[in-house]
Amino acid sequence: MVFNSYGFVLFFGVLLVLHHLPLAWRIKKINLLLASYLFYAAWNPPFVLLLWLATAVDFYIARLIAREERPVPRRLLLGVSLGLNLGLISFFKYGGFLLDNFTALLGAVGIAFHAAKPDLILPVGISFYTFVTLSYTLDVYRRQAPPEPSFLNFALFVTFFPHLVAGPIVRPADLIPQFYTPRQANRAQLLWGLLLLSLGLWMKVVVADGLLAPVADSVFGVPFPLAALDAWAGVLAFSGQIFCDFAGYSTCAIGVALCLGFVLPDNFRYPYAAIGFSDFWRRWHITLSTWLRDYLYIPLGGNRRGSARAYLNLLLTMLLGGLWHGASWTFVAWGALHGLLLCAERLVRGWTTRRRGQPLPAHAPVAEARVHHAAIGPPFPAHPLPGRFGLGLLTLLLVNVTWVFFRAPDFATAARLLRAMFGLLPSAPPLLTTLALLKVGVLSVGLVGAHWLMRDTSLARVAARVPWWLLGLGWATMLVLLVLTQKSSSSFIYFQF
Amino acid sequence: MPTPSLVKASLLAALLTAIFVVGWELYWRGQGFPISYNDDASLWASTRKRIYRSSPARPVLIGSSRIKFDVDLDTWASLSGQRPIMLAVEGASPRPILTDLGNDPAFRGTLIVDVTEGLFFTPPGARQERWAMDRLRAYPNWSLAQQLSFHLNRGLESRLVLLDENKLTVNAFLDELPLPNRPGVFGPPRFSPYFSFNSFERQSWMSARFVADTAMQNQMKAAWRHLGAGQPQHGVGGDTLVAMLQTARRAVAQIRRRGGHVLFVRTPSSGLYRQMETRNYPRAEYWDRLLAVTGAPGIHYADYPALAGFECPEWSHLTPRDAAAFTRALIPLVEQQTGWIIRAHPVAAAPTVPR
Repeated sequence: MVFNSYGFVLFFGVLLVLHHLPLAWRIKKINLLLASYLFYAAWNPPFVLLLWLATAVDFYIARLIAREERPVPRRLLLGVSLGLNLGLISFFKYGGFLLDNFTALLGAVGIAFHAAKPDLILPVGISFYTFVTLSYTLDVYRRQAPPEPSFLNFALFVTFFPHLVAGPIVRPADLIPQFYTPRQANRAQLLWGLLLLSLGLWMKVVVADGLLAPVADSVFGVPFPLAALDAWAGVLAFSGQIFCDFAGYSTCAIGVALCLGFVLPDNFRYPYAAIGFSDFWRRWHITLSTWLRDYLYIPLGGNRRGSARAYLNLLLTMLLGGLWHGASWTFVAWGALHGLLLCAERLVRGWTTRRRGQPLPAHAPVAEARVHHAAIGPPFPAHPLPGRFGLGLLTLLLVNVTWVFFRAPDFATAARLLRAMFGLLPSAPPLLTTLALLKVGVLSVGLVGAHWLMRDTSLARVAARVPWWLLGLGWATMLVLLVLTQKSSSSFIYFQF
Repeated sequence: MPTPSLVKASLLAALLTAIFVVGWELYWRGQGFPISYNDDASLWASTRKRIYRSSPARPVLIGSSRIKFDVDLDTWASLSGQRPIMLAVEGASPRPILTDLGNDPAFRGTLIVDVTEGLFFTPPGARQERWAMDRLRAYPNWSLAQQLSFHLNRGLESRLVLLDENKLTVNAFLDELPLPNRPGVFGPPRFSPYFSFNSFERQSWMSARFVADTAMQNQMKAAWRHLGAGQPQHGVGGDTLVAMLQTARRAVAQIRRRGGHVLFVRTPSSGLYRQMETRNYPRAEYWDRLLAVTGAPGIHYADYPALAGFECPEWSHLTPRDAAAFTRALIPLVEQQTGWIIRAHPVAAAPTVPR
């Protein structure tokens, strides 16, 4: 079920009523759990079995790990959990990819090998709930969290429908404690949740699907060379589309959870106003970048084992982060580019800091509470506004270059796009209409402008400052545009990951 | 959370939205817009589910927009007692759908394939083929959630005119802006909003206002001219054409082997469209060859006086009144050409022979 569907409106309406009935808290949690399974099964019912398997195995293995004191059995138990979770995702998501590469490898050494490619359907959200269950087992293994004694609480933590299929990727500490005491949204939470749901739907339905997706699809879909203007417009359109699609989903998820009285972590903080790549990853898909930091980068040694190892760890983390997004070398290239850019930024920052004779900034989560979770690496040092803005624009430009690999179906398309963007192709026929160019131009400037205006504040703070009638007018405008766009039921991009 | 202002803001938002929805609905009803269903992948999928109950009296119709306009389902039902199953997709090539039905071992029914040469013989990989493929891909993945939303949506669409995805959306209004394009850019055609409406059974019809208004008809002619400008001067040939014909032959043979029936139909076109089609797709090279290669019967409107006299007001589709007359004339011809029994109570008709 997707948030932008009539089916969800009915589902959520019924669930809200049930959640506000005077029932025991345990009954309400069972309602939420059953509703979450229904939400998931509405795509493809048999895949609920995978969810049950992952839930049951991780619940019981975590208990055994907590009870076990001997290191070897503990490691073995952890291995079972990792094997199951990573095995499932490898089979469903990477099976075909691995087979293709294995075949190509054998072909390269002269061995002709042909295997029937498995015709597998990717269970929606598997990458997300696998990371959720993994974080639980790993936290228990590292004794950073006790195992949850209640199976109902744990199952609800894994399955809670707002975050289940596309995040935010919740940690045990984020959500499980919220199930201990009865929760029901008060009037302010309910209205704020509905406002966030409206905003998220507006971002997804109106901006991403309605206005930007056709332009991006058109540019990335043509098999011939493009003019530079068209190539840039297509990439900028995708840049806006993917933000509004994914941040729109997260905003909906946070809003829906809040309507039920639960708080989910922020996943985006105006990333297109980021200054540098550490800052970008502190603002883009925050729950993924912090997951990668805590469960991959730091266990690999982070920056504690010398400079060269820190660079290698950064690269490895981002490569795997890229692969998490999809079973394709283009995603690996996207991750590698981000890794390289993070390394370059670290190099430049170290060099400029040494030149000024200052100590290197501590590589730890930033103390400033404004950012919920820190990402990999400390923030870029502050500069006067024009310099910051210039660095921000440079970051945005490079982020857009990386999006080419993320969206292109293959390297040939990516190379064609990049060559067109940087004027390395002979003149090509124009593709996009004036209207399409205007849409991309206005929305891109609007999006980046909004991110810069909002980069050091929050929606709640702004909403508290504006007059009620202006807030109501803005809310109504979003709802009217939703009615006027009517594109319902299309999937969110991140469902495929 | 800004509590006091949120209550007032939410009330204001709800009020303004309600006023807009009511006003917008009344305005478009006042403009003569009827209830029309969005002809999307879900509606197609819900129709595709019904193909296993087809028969000569209740055939599956595939093709593009012409058969959706030209075969009047009510008229067909009044004569046969059963309604055909409309699977045609506007602007798309029926070839992928023919192949799909051929490959479906459970389909052993009756199929009528409308041939608009420019779409049927579209080159492999062209967007006209991709549109059909999109529907085919969506069908097996039509999830329970989508089906639930589809049925809820149907309830709303049957009551609200404003839920018209093609004409009453932000993008549709933006497309009307008179913005000149760079030289060489192929912009979207500007269709008259009164040209095409769609029933739940996927019947298309043009509004009475469109039928009466030559300015709107001329707007559509300009749109077809614009689309025609992007077409090659001659249809595909050589090995590509041979491959297409063989694909069609294979699908027809598969359906027939299972006891099914296939008939090709060429529905009318007029004016510049007819000239363009005659020039780009000479009958001997395309239509006649299709029938010869597949071995299936075919009815070309130009061969029968009962079908040849219809005029399309915008060159490509029949008015609702003519569609009813065309259907009444077509059914006896189909019976005669194929031996199918369509009419519940066939009346003795004068034998109709090809010209």
